[in-house]
Amino acid sequence: MVLHKGETFEHVYINEPAIDLHIVQEADSHVKIHIINLQDSEGQSEVTNLIHIDHADTGCMTEIYALACAGADDKISTRTRVHHDKGEGVSRQLIKFVLRDRAQGSFEGELKIRQDAQHVDAQQLNRNLVLTPTALMRTKPQLEIYADDVKASHGASTGQLDESALFYMRQRGIDEPTARRMLIGAFLKDVLDTIADEQQREALMDAIDRIV
Amino acid sequence: MSHLLEIHDLHATIAGKDILKGVDLTINAGEVHAIMGPNGAGKSTLSAVLTGHPAYTVIGGQVLFRGKDLLAMPAEQRAREGLFLSFQYPVEIPGVSMVNFMRTALNETRSYRGQEALSATEFLKLMRQKKQLVGISEKMNNRSVNEGYSGGEKKKNEIFQMAMLEPVLSILDETDSGLDIDALRIVAEGVNALKTADNASIVITHYQRLLDYIVPDFVHILADGRIVKTGDKTLALELEEHGYNGIA
Repeated sequence: MVLHKGETFEHVYINEPAIDLHIVQEADSHVKIHIINLQDSEGQSEVTNLIHIDHADTGCMTEIYALACAGADDKISTRTRVHHDKGEGVSRQLIKFVLRDRAQGSFEGELKIRQDAQHVDAQQLNRNLVLTPTALMRTKPQLEIYADDVKASHGASTGQLDESALFYMRQRGIDEPTARRMLIGAFLKDVLDTIADEQQREALMDAIDRIV
Repeated sequence: MSHLLEIHDLHATIAGKDILKGVDLTINAGEVHAIMGPNGAGKSTLSAVLTGHPAYTVIGGQVLFRGKDLLAMPAEQRAREGLFLSFQYPVEIPGVSMVNFMRTALNETRSYRGQEALSATEFLKLMRQKKQLVGISEKMNNRSVNEGYSGGEKKKNEIFQMAMLEPVLSILDETDSGLDIDALRIVAEGVNALKTADNASIVITHYQRLLDYIVPDFVHILADGRIVKTGDKTLALELEEHGYNGIA
């Protein structure tokens, strides 16, 4: 789809089995999307998310927030392609996975800033919690930057729940499952905080509490 | 009347290394015990083992807390029974607000003790009241637990939590480390204000300085995994003068 000059496209995708979205942004347009995958199924489900954004003109803004919680034998794969073809654009990507059981997560993030796309400000951050030894996360950030006057940052980290925080909470009388839920909620908080609708945010928080 | 805490011949290891090699200690309600000793003697291990830190393995001995087998309980149950540790290094928990953390801890503890959960209003009122004890600002409520706190604020926050949870036995693990003299006084005054005839505390420290403010009934010297000497508060002064080698 083409997002015309100055337009805004905003959407929260919740538990879609597959997203394949290609948006060509014209000047000063704004994309803000959330992709929420909360898998509480037994067995196996497969989810693929593909988001392709082109900044075809100057002054575009793109925000991509993705949050995935998976368990059992789920597979969730999220690919983003953000192409800054023209300058003065801003992109923000925050992608988080929480994996338990034998779930597999994968993130591939292609961020390209072409030569004449000056003064771009691009951020990509992928953080993952792997709660069991049998869960698996693959992450592949790819940055291609051909312009010389840009700000671009990226980060990817995968880890476990903070054991010292867990013990601290238990020492105060909080039982272990509750402490784990609180820490997972804290990990996902910054993604949820970007959802403007408070009711929706709280409903998602409750849904996360139920499955983790 | 039975003792508050009885430790009999406690042995514990971490990663296969023997740290506690037969600790015996008895604590009664109303008492303050100081445990001093050189680095590596096992002071922090003792507090970790008593509070149920999963990294340590108990390989021998028995601990009775209010007559119950402490070592058989998970960490959270020990806390709810009234055992509190003021951490040497309080942990930062980004994304968990102090209010949410404290309300969960208090209400789970109250539920275990057969008390009703506090309403939001009652809880906030209690927070406000207890914070005054150590002079913590109201702004703390919505900040994440310990995140970005100074060393002094972290230690004050430990004593604040102790005031909220009203433990029967508090272990203060090097609460004086990293404190300037003003913060030390505030923290010590907080601890003293919480002292009753029904509770007790164990003060783990390297230095006599803290014991000028929190005056112990007993001073124990822990060396190489055992309590090698017990005395009254004058033992701490002797230690200050002669060092561990001169005493133990």
